[in-house]
Amino acid sequence: MTIRLVVNGRPRDLEVAPHALLLDVLRDTLDLKGAKRSCDTQVCGACTVLVDGLAVSACTYLAVEADGRSVLTVEGLADGESLHPLQRAFVEAGAVQCGFCTSGMLLTAKAMLAENRTPMRDDVLHYLRGSLCRCTGYRKIVDAVLAAAETAR
Amino acid sequence: MSARPLRVVGHPVPRVDAIEKVTGRARYVTDLTLPGMAHAKVLRSPYAHARVRRVDVTRARARPGVFAALAGADLTWCDPYYGPAYRDRPVLAIGVARYEGEPVAAVAAVDEATAEEALELIDVDYEPLAPVMTLEEALAEDAPLVHAGQPPAGHFADLSTLRPRPGTNICHQFQFARGDAAAALGGADVVVEDAYRFPPVQHVALEPHAAVAAWDETGALTLWASTQNPYSVRVELAKMFDVPLARIRVVVPHLGGGFGSKTYAKLEPLAATLARAAARPVRLAASVPEAFQTVRRCASRVAVRAGFRRDGTLVAVACDADYDVGAYADIGPRVVQKGTYTATGPYRVPHVRLEARAVYTNTTPGGAFRGFGVPQLAWALESLFDVAADRLDRDPVDLRRQNFLAHGEEFAPGDTPIDGKLEESLSRAAEAIGWTRAPAADRGRGVAAMLKASVAPSVSEAIVRLHADGSVTVLASAVEMGQGTRTVLTQIAAEVLSVPLARVTVVQPDTAVTPYDQTTSSSRSTAMTGRAVQVAAEDVRDQLLAIAAQNLGVAARELALADGALVAPARRLTYPEALALKFGMSGGELIGRGVIAPGRTAAPLGGSTPFWEMAVGAAEVSVDEETGAVRVERYVSVADVGRAINPLLLEGQDEGGVVQGLGHTLLEEMLYADGHLLNGTLLVYRVPRADDTPSELECHFVENADGSGPFGAKGAGEGSLIPVSPAVANALARLTGVRLRDLPLTPERVWRALRARSPRA
Amino acid sequence: MLRPFTLHRPETAEEACALLAGLGEEAAAYAGGTELLLMMKLGLLRPRHLVDVKRIRGFGDIGLEPLSGRRLTIGAAVTHRAVEQSALVRARCPLVSSVARHVANVRVRNVGTVGGNLAFADPHSDLATLFLTLDASVELLSPRGRRELPLDDFVRGPWETSRASDELLGSVTLTPWASDTAAAYVKFGVHERPTLAVAAALRLDGTTGAGRNGRDRIVEARVAVGCVSLKPVRMAAAEARLTDLSIGDLDDAARAAADAGSRPPARGAPSPRLAFPTPWSPEAAG
Repeated sequence: MTIRLVVNGRPRDLEVAPHALLLDVLRDTLDLKGAKRSCDTQVCGACTVLVDGLAVSACTYLAVEADGRSVLTVEGLADGESLHPLQRAFVEAGAVQCGFCTSGMLLTAKAMLAENRTPMRDDVLHYLRGSLCRCTGYRKIVDAVLAAAETAR
Repeated sequence: MSARPLRVVGHPVPRVDAIEKVTGRARYVTDLTLPGMAHAKVLRSPYAHARVRRVDVTRARARPGVFAALAGADLTWCDPYYGPAYRDRPVLAIGVARYEGEPVAAVAAVDEATAEEALELIDVDYEPLAPVMTLEEALAEDAPLVHAGQPPAGHFADLSTLRPRPGTNICHQFQFARGDAAAALGGADVVVEDAYRFPPVQHVALEPHAAVAAWDETGALTLWASTQNPYSVRVELAKMFDVPLARIRVVVPHLGGGFGSKTYAKLEPLAATLARAAARPVRLAASVPEAFQTVRRCASRVAVRAGFRRDGTLVAVACDADYDVGAYADIGPRVVQKGTYTATGPYRVPHVRLEARAVYTNTTPGGAFRGFGVPQLAWALESLFDVAADRLDRDPVDLRRQNFLAHGEEFAPGDTPIDGKLEESLSRAAEAIGWTRAPAADRGRGVAAMLKASVAPSVSEAIVRLHADGSVTVLASAVEMGQGTRTVLTQIAAEVLSVPLARVTVVQPDTAVTPYDQTTSSSRSTAMTGRAVQVAAEDVRDQLLAIAAQNLGVAARELALADGALVAPARRLTYPEALALKFGMSGGELIGRGVIAPGRTAAPLGGSTPFWEMAVGAAEVSVDEETGAVRVERYVSVADVGRAINPLLLEGQDEGGVVQGLGHTLLEEMLYADGHLLNGTLLVYRVPRADDTPSELECHFVENADGSGPFGAKGAGEGSLIPVSPAVANALARLTGVRLRDLPLTPERVWRALRARSPRA
Repeated sequence: MLRPFTLHRPETAEEACALLAGLGEEAAAYAGGTELLLMMKLGLLRPRHLVDVKRIRGFGDIGLEPLSGRRLTIGAAVTHRAVEQSALVRARCPLVSSVARHVANVRVRNVGTVGGNLAFADPHSDLATLFLTLDASVELLSPRGRRELPLDDFVRGPWETSRASDELLGSVTLTPWASDTAAAYVKFGVHERPTLAVAAALRLDGTTGAGRNGRDRIVEARVAVGCVSLKPVRMAAAEARLTDLSIGDLDDAARAAADAGSRPPARGAPSPRLAFPTPWSPEAAG
């Protein structure tokens, strides 16, 4: 099937099989390796990408569903060499360790901030509850998201 | 030289790989593609214990798109066994499958879908055998044996005296004694004893194990592996394929977490075997459920007896510890002996009897996991310590303080004396948690302390290269798995050579390029690899000083390094200028070398620990009596680190360690029934989430520059995890009066214990 | 990684039913795929045909049922997120909105659907448990026509429903509670799926019967429990015991019920510490 979508601001026409998963199309066809395969069951969030601004588990999302839609991966967050405020906040807060969960965390946080520009800690926890990290203990990640929200205001 | 303040060491600089990680550019093994690369899938035993009578891969091999299909019986052209303690683990099961999930056959094909389909074309005849699934079953009289006969020993000097008990499932025994514990316990005023259980738990690194293997036309092997010790993997492969070490190259990009799960060979031998059979590069990536079937923490049952004098002096400890190391020994024997070695914790104890056994069971092999045997023992001793405090009518903080080993005191003859101030960690933790102020009525507080040795003897080597433009390359094989070692090594080199951080590059570990480092584990990378980098950088510095001294006609001691230049009272020579002087042209480089190899000593484990890791944890908890749910509301961790090379990274490490510790304390347990693992997926194995983090979490550091590592540093990263479970259980006991001895403290266990307790006065 | 399948995208229910009828066991209805695709990845289901219901007219709608003007109909392809954000749901059944907000995680809520959830019939389903207190009925469409079934008859057991293989779940209809109903949904658990879930709706009235304040006598109690039985169930015995109680007696009654039964206690007054977003208060109108 042919699908037409916009990926990180760039229109793409792709030929995909109905059973192709968005995660594999992004990683293998488009060479966007930022989204990771981890649990493969929608629990961990390492594969999170935004489709029309909404966070989805790319590991369990058919590529064909992205037809006519706009997909954002971590590679699309920065503006050229200029980091997105969330990325900068993660760097400054020390919210990155092994980095495997990072792209999922960043994109989920971005989706949250689009919905809620003045989040409280509990709002962040509600959103990030479905994104696992085994390295950081989450504290600096939550601090980074709150800091980025502050900066954006 | 050392009088002036440190420029970059001790500063919370952002990690050097942060930008590549936040932009998605960081590369992990599963992001790599090689031309012609095949994809591998593994067929795994559905039985915990079974004779493997026949494996027929003919149909799989014949399927179009399949490059190789292998069973254990096919591996006649290599030595199919590996393992760091015992070489007891076959690449593919040979004649018998010893745990559910053991690889029995494997396929390399043009893509994953073809490989998956090919697995379904493999026929296996299993004859199920009775398994032993628990310590009790494995130790029972006439228990079925997981291994018949004794496998050959692996490659570690400290395990050269492996002591199995033939005819049983005990693959190693460790004993340590001092004084006369039996008599001392007999004469003690107060004796407390109990048995504590620690569950099998899973590391759950978000990136499961993965490797890409490729043989070249000359018979040399290159492997990109998600491993914590490339050199250990290299030696295993060299032995397996009878290839010289120099012709095996292991490259390590970023790891998506390790925590010990990626120490020693895991999937690499199978990847290499398939690549050889397929005659093309092979990518082998485990799924999360497969990681559950690759390695886990060694579970334990620890019985401790402790004897005290009426005045609170600890006089004797007797400990019997059984560790379930699963179907293959992996590094289990060392976990057992090293963990048990510090079973007495951070205390002075004149009379000691310690006995431990590593026991095979038909479950996922147990190996290294952050803490390395010490969490299991600290769970026991630190819980029991509070029981003793209760019996002695003493404050638990006070009782610990009274019995702590002092700075400089001997732990065991021949081993390094205590190199930190336990009392300082304890005081800071007690203060931060507010120990002397009464908690709210619905809260309870508890503390726990720990002591751990780092692996010894061990070796770390490093090379530092100063290029003609004054930039620097650091070659070291410490693996970046999130803990920030690349950043720390950058800081150390930049500090010694007085160049900006951005001018220093630490390359990825690559056994063809970066020199020997024993392992990235045991909290040792800053202290040992960092020290090797420091020495190598000092070597370069000394060469620079010599060049400048000669050319400027001043004594080396009158020179200082500053901002990429050598500075004398009236002269300044930049590094590029210095190199140009030395080589008489543009080009050339200075190479410095550092070798940290303390060697064997008379210490009980064969080497003296390079540093002691010591830490204290304090928890404040609440419990919902309706459901038994325990919530850790506040937690304080204090670690005695000597010098925090990067306080920001260190704090992140310890926050992560505390939360990972909350995992096995409250949530995590691998559950088996009828020989099957019930919860080998994240749908039913629960790791801490963002809302599990204590609302108040503080990580503090004691820094007295008293370590043997660079700038007085010691090791860190495990100390924050180890005290968590006893601190929480002690807090729960002080709040509710119930004492739990089995982890995790699930709502059900707590609820039942609360209902079973007698009404409080 | 999924095995290959043909994806069908009918635009009408008739088309969809014809496909299901024709393809039989080889076909599966597909909306968000959060359960279906997972089952396919695990190899537990291997449909060769997926019938996508998201384009079917009406399946994405939330509205009032024309007949009564009161009952709320949610199309099968409506996502949990859409339920959470719907002004109509919030106005008529705010607890439904709150519960939808806490199903699984944010990614599943963005994609997963109400119809998919109910048709999957997981005993842990939050919505299935809550909907039992809302006189929920599901609409099943087939080449033979349309039938409506109470939710309790639709869900038969774990992952088992009354849906025939050529039937399509079109929508679920809820009857919002009468005014003066206070309700809460409480779930407790440690894992991804909760261990225990309780939905309680208590209609209050103070104008009859003895009561200290107005509006404190329970006229009607609806209590549903999920996760611990083969399917979510209404607790008739607990409901009977709660009827005609006054609020002041609630804690004692609940404690008595808890002590008496080995089944999970049917509590009319959930502990505030476990409380869900919808606050426990008599003012919470249905």
